[in-house]
Amino acid sequence: MEIIGEISKMPATIQSLAKRSVNLFPPIAKDCTHRLLVNKVTWVIIAILLLPCILGLVIYYETNNDRQVQEIDGEKIYYTNDGALIHEEKREDYEYQSNLIVISFVAIIMAILFSSELINEEYENKTMQLLRTTPIHSFEILLHRYLAGVICMFGILGIHSILFYYTTMIQSGTHGILENLDVLLTILKVLIFESIAFMAVFCVFAIYFEKPFLIGIIYWIVWEGFVSGQNYQKITITHYLNSILFDSTKAMGWKVKASDYNLINSKEEIIATEPLIAMIVILIVAIVALIIGSRGLANRQF
Amino acid sequence: MKIKLEQVTKNYGNVQGISNISLDVDSGITGILGPNGAGKSTTMKIILGLSRPSRGRVTVDGKDPFSDWKLKENFGFVPEYDCFYEHMTGLEFVMYFLRIRDIGRDKAENMARTALSELGLNNAMERKIITYSRGMRQKTKVARATVFDPKILIMDEPFQGADPTTRGLLMKKMTEWAKKGKTILISSHILHDVQSLTDNIALVNNGKMLAHGNRHEIRNLINVPRPITIVPVKKGNLRKLAKRIIDEEWTKGTTIDEENNELTVETNQTEEVYLELPRILQKEKITIEKIYSEDDSLDSLYAKLVEGAQWK
Repeated sequence: MEIIGEISKMPATIQSLAKRSVNLFPPIAKDCTHRLLVNKVTWVIIAILLLPCILGLVIYYETNNDRQVQEIDGEKIYYTNDGALIHEEKREDYEYQSNLIVISFVAIIMAILFSSELINEEYENKTMQLLRTTPIHSFEILLHRYLAGVICMFGILGIHSILFYYTTMIQSGTHGILENLDVLLTILKVLIFESIAFMAVFCVFAIYFEKPFLIGIIYWIVWEGFVSGQNYQKITITHYLNSILFDSTKAMGWKVKASDYNLINSKEEIIATEPLIAMIVILIVAIVALIIGSRGLANRQF
Repeated sequence: MKIKLEQVTKNYGNVQGISNISLDVDSGITGILGPNGAGKSTTMKIILGLSRPSRGRVTVDGKDPFSDWKLKENFGFVPEYDCFYEHMTGLEFVMYFLRIRDIGRDKAENMARTALSELGLNNAMERKIITYSRGMRQKTKVARATVFDPKILIMDEPFQGADPTTRGLLMKKMTEWAKKGKTILISSHILHDVQSLTDNIALVNNGKMLAHGNRHEIRNLINVPRPITIVPVKKGNLRKLAKRIIDEEWTKGTTIDEENNELTVETNQTEEVYLELPRILQKEKITIEKIYSEDDSLDSLYAKLVEGAQWK
C-alpha cells in the first residue's frame, strides 16, 4: 500500500522537481562545471584527447600531396595511389580509433574522475553537510550534479569527437567530410549514452565508497572489461553501447560483423540487443542508479 | 520551535560519541558547553539530522530531522569547520544556498547582499572566499545560515577565530535574533562567550550531559561549598568579621587574605548568607566595600562538574 501511495505521488513529485529545477540547476551546474573544468586531471585528459587530433593534422600535411583527385559534379573526390576512396578508409579509422580510445578508455576514466569530483570532493570539503542541512531532497542534490557531469563529459568528448573527425577526414576533402557525417553522429550518440550510463553508475560508487576511483577502475576492468566479452554480457553497460554502435554501422552499410563488437556468445550466436531497447535499458540503468544513489545520500551520516 | 532529545546515544563503531543525553531547547539562546571532544558537535549534528541516534529519539517540533528534509527549511547552521566552495565569492556562496532553497536569482542576490552588508562584508563580498581571513569566513558562514531568517539557528563554536569586533557584532546579532523568538543553540568551549549571552546552558563532558538549565540553579545543586568573598572598608575589621561568622551554622570554612583585605566564607547555604549577613554587619557596625562570588561564573561551575563533584 505504501509503495502504491508513493507511486501515486510520483507525477506531483516529478512536477515539483521540474519546477524547482529552474532555480536549483543553474547555480549547481555553474559550480560543478567550474570545478570540473579547473581540475588539472581534466586538462591532462583533454591533452591526451588532443594527441590523435594533432597526429591527424601531421599525417595530413605530410601525405596530402600523395593523394589522387577526381572531380565529379564540381566535387573533389580523393583516392589513394591504390585507387581506394580515402574517405571510406578514413571513416573506418575514425570509428575504430574513437571506439578504442574514447569510448572504451577515456570516457570511463573521465566518468570516474568527474563523479568523484562532484560527490566525493563535497564529502571531503564538508559542503555536503551544509547541503544536507538545507531543504533540498537528496535526489535533487544528486540529480543536478549528475546532469552537470553528463553535460561536461559529453561536451568535452563531443567537441573532441568533432575535432578528431575533422582532423581524420581532412585528407578526404570537403566531400569526404560531409559524406560521412553519419559516423560522427553515431559516435556522438554512443558517447551521450555512455555519459548518461557511466556517470550515474560512478556517482553511486562515489556516494557509497570512500575510494570511488579504485572501485571504479576495478568495476571497469572486471565488469565492463571481462564480463562484457562473455555469455552474460547483457548485464554490462558495454554490451548496450556496443549494440548501438553495431546497429548504426550496419545501418550505414558498412560490412561489419557482430564479433567485431564482441556481440556473440560462446556458441558464436549473435546476442546484440535492438538499439532502441539498448537505449531504454541505459536510461533505466541511469535512473535506477540515481535512485539508489539518492538513498545512499539520504542515509549517509556525518 | 522546540528541540527535544530523549536519552540519545550515538556510537561510532566501538567509540561512544554521546551517551544518554536528554535535552529540551526552546526559543531563546541555549549554550552547549564542554571541552573539545565532549560531544557538543555530535549533539548538534543529531539535531540537524546529519546523524541518526544509535539509541533514543530526537525531534524538532515533533518531527524527525534525519528523515524529514522539508523540516530543514527552518534550520540555519554555522559549522565549526570551514566548508566553502572556495572558488566562489562570498556573495555567490550565500546566493548559492538561497537559490537551492528555490529562491529566484534577483531576490537571492538582494537577500545575500543585505545579509553580508549587515555583517560588515560590504567591500569583501565580491572577493573570492579563498582570499578571506578567518573572521571574514566566520561572518560568511553566519550570513549563509541567517540570510533566510531561520526559526532555529545552530551555531557550533561561532566565535572561533573571530576578532573582538566580529565577536561583539555576532553577540549583538544573536541577542537580536533571540529577541525575535528564534531558537538559538550555541556550542562553545569558551565559557565566557556563552556566559555573556545566556544563563540557559547545557554542560557536557565525555559525551555525557553533566547538567542543563539555568546556570545559577545548576550551581545550587552542587553539594560543594561555594565561596563568598567579603571586602570590608576597614582592614582592621577583617578578623572581627571572621570571628563573628565562623560560629554561624551555614559557615563551612573561612579564609582571610590580609594582603587583599578579603574574607572568603565557604557555604552550602548561599541564600542564608545573603539574608543573615546584613544583620551581622549592622550589629557589628562593619561597613563593607563589596561582596562577590566568583564561583557563580561558568568556568567555576564547569570545573566543579567536570571534576566529578557530588550531587545532592
